Amino acid sequence: MTRTALLSIVAASLLAGTAFGAARPRYGGTLRLTTSAAPASVDPASSTLGTLTIANIYRLLFDTLVVLDARGKPQPALATAWQAEPGEQRWHFQLRPGLTFQDGTAITADAIAASLRAANANWKVFPTANGIDIECQPAEPTLPSQLALPAYGIAKRTAGKLSASGAFAISRWDPGKKLTLTAREDYWRGRTFVDSIEIDMAKSFRDQIIALDLNQADVVEIPAEQARHATAEGRHVGNSGVDLLALVFTRDSRSPDESKLRDALAMGIDRAAINNGLLQGQGEPAGTLLPNWMTGYAFLFPAELNLGSARRMRAETLAVSSWSLGYDAADPLSRIIAERIVLNARDAGLTLQLSSATPDLRLQRIPLQSLEPRFVLTMLAAKAGMPVPKFADDSSASLYAAEAALLQSRRIIPLLHVRNSLGLGANVKNWTVDRDGTWHPEDVWLGGEKP
Amino acid sequence: MSFRRKLLAVFALTVSVSVGSVAWIVLVMSRHAFERADADRTAALVAQFHREFQRRGQDVARRVEAIATSDAVTRMALALNRSAPDYSSYVGEARSLAESQHLDFLELIDAQGVIISSAQRPARFGYREESLSLSSLPGDAFLKSEELAEGAKLALSAVREVKVGDKSLYVIGGQRVDEKFLASLELPAGMRAMFYANLGAGFSPSLLIDASGSVRRAEPLANLIKEVQDQRKETEINIHWSSDAADDEIVHALPLAGQNNQLLGILLVGNARRPYVELRRHIRYAALLAGSAGIVLAILFSGWAAARVIRPVEQLADAAREVAAGNWSTQVAVTSADELGELAESFNHMTRELLQQREHLLQAERVAAWRELARRLAHELKNPLFPLQLTVENLIRARQHSPEQFEEVFRESSSTLLAEIANLKAIISRFSEFSKMPQPQCQRVQLNEIAQNVSRLFQAPSDRKPIDFKLDLADKIPEIAADPDLLHRALSNLVLNAMDAMPKGGKLSIRTHQNGDLACIEVSDSGVGLTPEECQRLFTPYYTTKTHGTGLGLAIVQSVISDHGGRISVRSQPGHGTTFLIELPRNLDKLHRVRQARSTSNAHS
Repeated sequence: MTRTALLSIVAASLLAGTAFGAARPRYGGTLRLTTSAAPASVDPASSTLGTLTIANIYRLLFDTLVVLDARGKPQPALATAWQAEPGEQRWHFQLRPGLTFQDGTAITADAIAASLRAANANWKVFPTANGIDIECQPAEPTLPSQLALPAYGIAKRTAGKLSASGAFAISRWDPGKKLTLTAREDYWRGRTFVDSIEIDMAKSFRDQIIALDLNQADVVEIPAEQARHATAEGRHVGNSGVDLLALVFTRDSRSPDESKLRDALAMGIDRAAINNGLLQGQGEPAGTLLPNWMTGYAFLFPAELNLGSARRMRAETLAVSSWSLGYDAADPLSRIIAERIVLNARDAGLTLQLSSATPDLRLQRIPLQSLEPRFVLTMLAAKAGMPVPKFADDSSASLYAAEAALLQSRRIIPLLHVRNSLGLGANVKNWTVDRDGTWHPEDVWLGGEKP
Repeated sequence: MSFRRKLLAVFALTVSVSVGSVAWIVLVMSRHAFERADADRTAALVAQFHREFQRRGQDVARRVEAIATSDAVTRMALALNRSAPDYSSYVGEARSLAESQHLDFLELIDAQGVIISSAQRPARFGYREESLSLSSLPGDAFLKSEELAEGAKLALSAVREVKVGDKSLYVIGGQRVDEKFLASLELPAGMRAMFYANLGAGFSPSLLIDASGSVRRAEPLANLIKEVQDQRKETEINIHWSSDAADDEIVHALPLAGQNNQLLGILLVGNARRPYVELRRHIRYAALLAGSAGIVLAILFSGWAAARVIRPVEQLADAAREVAAGNWSTQVAVTSADELGELAESFNHMTRELLQQREHLLQAERVAAWRELARRLAHELKNPLFPLQLTVENLIRARQHSPEQFEEVFRESSSTLLAEIANLKAIISRFSEFSKMPQPQCQRVQLNEIAQNVSRLFQAPSDRKPIDFKLDLADKIPEIAADPDLLHRALSNLVLNAMDAMPKGGKLSIRTHQNGDLACIEVSDSGVGLTPEECQRLFTPYYTTKTHGTGLGLAIVQSVISDHGGRISVRSQPGHGTTFLIELPRNLDKLHRVRQARSTSNAHS
């Protein structure tokens, strides 16, 4: 009896240890990522952000002055504190001391000022005794949130060579093809669990899926329309931020009739069908620019198909609606959605034609790169070529008013908020992503042995 | 043209016409044969294209059948039988199924005709498929118009019904009829396929494609396409792409109808005529070359044959010329036993006969001449002899009967005898002179001058009856090489004869003129004239129509003219006078040679 009890205790202890070991973080290993993007440079100031994957790669390499928390609030990073002068045209950031670049040199106020000047030439950045001052023209009330963007990652540029300030250092860079990062032992937040990260670039989605299935990659991009299928086939699929899919006119409406036509178009698009059929449920029909989880009022804006109203509004005006619709020719899904919109428009009595050259309106997929709604709205307005929205204060009412004003301009018709997806290998542990698509690879560790 | 050349021309023409006719017949027959073969080839190619097109249709139908019977479609059909099927999960199904069977178009349609999934236009899910009638589905492949975002396209399509449970699922798949489709058709060399998508009224060049894309020059095919659009039946024409016939192309047009018998496309099967035209050209060049070579060879052979045939004839002609020149002993070689040989033998026989005849004639003439000479001599000598006899007899009689008068008679008789003896001597000297006619001593002579001298000589007053002299001299009579004394003598004889012919006076004219290379002088009188018989014998020595004279005058004239290389003729009618015509060659070359010979001999001496 005693013997049996002892064996049971030993067995239970072993099982508990195994279970504990699987859940316990472990150091080591190489995290392998694939992406369809093929950037020619990893300099955050000189490269376009491209995909969310590239943006997150910048975050691995280059720390920002501030980061956003899960609610979109700026939190200290390289800067420990900040303060705006009245008018919010001049900001003072107090820097965290004792930090170094990957080459061992100190991250000084001068270095940060130089990096920010390279990122935004419109700013005047001055090093001060304990930090930097940034002067903006016009006022930038959301400057801290903006500084959390990967584009404002702090980098040291000497003789064409980049030196990273983030958790990883560049160990090998084959432009457009492969990037190898190595975990920095002296990182101020502490060394990451994984030793290194390998990023294979310019991979098609099909090759990425195959690489994932063959365990040749740990994290791959999955197109939204394939996420459901990938999940159905048993793959582990995680979210990776949200994009706004919208129709953006190249100019403002010039007459009430044209505004009516634009309204008819907005009401005649079957967003649900696009979401269910083409995006396989990976989106949310949108009547607003910002998603409901970010603002809480989006449900007030209708996003359902209202073909009757659309036809009625179309009939109310004698204006000729012959628009050309542009789309991202490199994205097959963009073309299919554009074709669907053309069909929907025809149902509503409107004439749309696909065109790749100088279209009247364009189907755009704009990443929501931040969790701070005012900043996102400002960024969306800039992307759509609209004036910078005015915010009376930090309240939701002010945000609502600003967004409603943008929508009333009829320059942009929101269609869907599309969730980006990532395929994750079984050995990737503790993969977390913020709602704005920010990865946290510093929390990731690899379980099991690599083949 | 010589007989040889005529014969050569006839030979060459005959052979050339023959060779040319054969070459032309060969060309015409070969052209007909090639055109027939080309038409047969085109028909065979079109039939092959038909089979290839049908095979591709069967291939499309087989692929659609494979999709319709696949597990994925069966599962989908099963899911559609549920109470609230979720169509959205199948939106992307058609694309993967189409890729699995290499189809360009694939649509999955429910029993109500609603598109569940579309490979070619995924955005159309949920819309109705209007271009297909589900009530009568064709079993074979058919042409179908597909509405794409970039416009309508045509596809070789097939449809299959998948019936699982109560609800049917339709699978419509096809391959795009485009340049790739045309390029994939296995066509023989020299053949090409074009396709016209009949997606609008009339003809639009942009809708015409071939295996390489848009047809660069579509306009020449417009009429053919319009004809097929109007008549909807297979048509064939020859397209001239350029002025070079080798670029021609026989294009066969096949109308292709869709499910509802609507003309959706026109297949154009082009058969290049270049190989045929080049082969025909090759044959033509070969025929022309062979014909030309044949003609050249024929001409050469004709020349050789003509020469071979003509040589005996030429020998006969040369021999005839020799005979004509007086060489009657000429003989020709008999080289063959054919008609020409017989002709040569006959010629030789003729010349031999001529020689014999001439000998006989000469003998006869010689006898006749001697007889004439004897008669003349007898006549000439008899006349003086008779007075001599009478004078001698008168002397004898005077001596016997009147011795007193003998002295007087003797004187008279002596003078008479001397006169008659002188007469006899004159007769004998004239005969002697005729026998010793000198050779002409040629020099440059102006015929007009001789005529003027003679005229001047005989215009002197005499006791004759008055004669009206007329001198008609041509302005430009060229100089001739002649002996002026002999000519003067000959002309004087003619003038004397003319004057003798006009005892009662009359008109006498001397006329000079030029006849080609000949210098001519005519002496005409208005005397009694001559009979034709007299004209024939006029130049015979010792023949005379006068009561006096030796009959040697005109013979001497003829001898002089003949020695100068000329000839004399007479024309006369009794009562209408007589005209003598002397024709003399210029003979300047003879004069030049004589002078050269003289100068050479002088130099040597």
